[in-house]
Amino acid sequence: MEKLIKPKIAIYDFTDCEGCEVAIISLREKLLELENRLNIVDWRLAQEKKEQGPFLVSIIEGTPITPDEIETLKWLRENSTYIFALGACASLAGIPGIVAKEEREKFYKQIYGENYKPVGIDAVPLSAYVKVDFSIHGCPVNPDEVVRIIEELLAGKKPAYRGCSVCFECKLAGNPCRLVFGKPCLGPIGQGGCNAICVSGGSPCYACFGQREDANIPALIKILQNLTSREEIERYFTMFYKHMPEWQEKAKELLK
Amino acid sequence: MLSNEFIAKIEGHGAIHIDWDKNEAKLKVLEGERLFEGMLEGRTAEEAHWITPRICGVCPIAHNLASVMACEDAFDVKPHQTTILLRKLMLAGQMIQSHFLHLFFLALPDYVGIDRGTELNQKDPKSFKMALILKKVSDEIVHTVAGRNVHPTTTTIGGFHKIPKKSALKELLEMLKKTKTAAKNTVKLFSGLNYPQLKVNLELVSQKEDQIVSNKNADSSSIKNYKKDIEETIKEGSTAKFGKYKNREIMVGALARLAHLDTEKKSGPDYQNPFHNNLAQAVEIDLYHNQSQEIIEQLLRDGLKDTIAPKPINFTQNKPFIGIGAVEAPRGGLYHEFHFDNKGIITYANIITPTVQNLTSIEKSANALLEQFKNETQEKKKKLLEMLVRAYDPCITCATH
Repeated sequence: MEKLIKPKIAIYDFTDCEGCEVAIISLREKLLELENRLNIVDWRLAQEKKEQGPFLVSIIEGTPITPDEIETLKWLRENSTYIFALGACASLAGIPGIVAKEEREKFYKQIYGENYKPVGIDAVPLSAYVKVDFSIHGCPVNPDEVVRIIEELLAGKKPAYRGCSVCFECKLAGNPCRLVFGKPCLGPIGQGGCNAICVSGGSPCYACFGQREDANIPALIKILQNLTSREEIERYFTMFYKHMPEWQEKAKELLK
Repeated sequence: MLSNEFIAKIEGHGAIHIDWDKNEAKLKVLEGERLFEGMLEGRTAEEAHWITPRICGVCPIAHNLASVMACEDAFDVKPHQTTILLRKLMLAGQMIQSHFLHLFFLALPDYVGIDRGTELNQKDPKSFKMALILKKVSDEIVHTVAGRNVHPTTTTIGGFHKIPKKSALKELLEMLKKTKTAAKNTVKLFSGLNYPQLKVNLELVSQKEDQIVSNKNADSSSIKNYKKDIEETIKEGSTAKFGKYKNREIMVGALARLAHLDTEKKSGPDYQNPFHNNLAQAVEIDLYHNQSQEIIEQLLRDGLKDTIAPKPINFTQNKPFIGIGAVEAPRGGLYHEFHFDNKGIITYANIITPTVQNLTSIEKSANALLEQFKNETQEKKKKLLEMLVRAYDPCITCATH
């Protein structure tokens, strides 16, 4: 067989829960198949081997909170053809992003006490510091989506985002619509790719796969205002969207 | 340039600094602060158990259940027997998931001379196959009960949004029966490893029902006193706090749990060698594999109550809502505490994780290692220290939450 050229890949994790990497390990046999086609030259969680770049792709999980992480991110950008964000922490600032920069000082004192010297600066997505070429969304990522996206890359294609909303996949999953039953849901603005796994389990959808194309946030807020309080709508949107300009500008205005 | 000091193959970002002149090791935790306890303020009970699993992708079930239980404690909600059994089942699955990841991907490579865990496929295909079988069955347990392998979707205060179908449990039972040998052989594999001979006077602490118990002192204490008993201090250069239990250095996790279970201590791990935490985890894989089978058999025998929807909580009563949830997570005792206002909004949150309790012990064992292996080369000692840190299976992301 002709020897395949294996692209050099780096996998990095910044501050986060590492659940997206765990989701990748859940691929088991499929992970082995992927590994055979990639040359993973740097992956702290899984190996000691650590080669320098340049990398074709750096897959980055987590939120760059510490100065060291921000510096590493910039270094990776310089040494990688593509930067892929892995999971909601990297793509949207994720759960760490719930804490606003101006709240950090207060929480540092409350949690660590007066004598603590904080390290973290702010919980923001990778895109706050560097250009991100593609986001593998989710909290956590859907491992099958990881396979699809890497395969598209290996085939020389530009990976594509799912064109549908969470609602579309939720219908396919046969779930009763939360909004129809008076429960808040961000499915209508959320990008698919998750197969509506949270709603299927009975949980709310916070649209962790990012916004779908042409998402109509004002329309959804109007619907939500008929269902629940301003506070609850805000809690829903700030689960993953605190750092989204669309939320910060439009939605805050609408909720006044 | 990039800092290369992070210890590879541990969950999260930590480093070990060795002062060769003083023959002294210091553990540094370099994870960014996410400030979960602050983040939870202003959130509801149902949001709390959605948020806290995201502290750790390796043990999300443990955090989810600790939060759910803290809320139930606050609101005086008593879950149904089916709920209790299903929670026990998902936690058993979590134990196997977490121990699998640590043993085969993070710890074993040191002992068999490979780097990445998946290289075991070439080195020892039989063991690798066994590892994948365990991964599959544990993921399947968690997926069936909790709705997803990582970060649960079905749990709620008082019960479950959805419970598994009988047919799904039957399939799971068949899978467990077929994979029994893999669990047994894991114990064999990890019994046969050549662990470094380290002797540390370890105080092993674990939760037992509503008590925290120690193998060295008979001063067991109620879980309700966790905050007083487990003291956390900040250390320079570390974003995680370092914990002590009643001002003593303790070890929690698989080895500690086993020490309190296996009273005869005829065989199995050496309870004074922290490296044997790896062996204890392997023993626990078998133990929780058996337990999973027993729980499913009981559920199928007793029948699943499918009406376990949570009751609405009455927030109007005039008393503070304060609750504590405690769970034996894969790495040891985990504690969540929430206070709510009379609208059901969190006003205070406190979380103490197992790794916080272990950090002090890791440093103590590291210094014991430097002393007991002082004639070895620096390179060898450095390698042994990294293996030691890995043996504790620290979860740095849990520690810096």
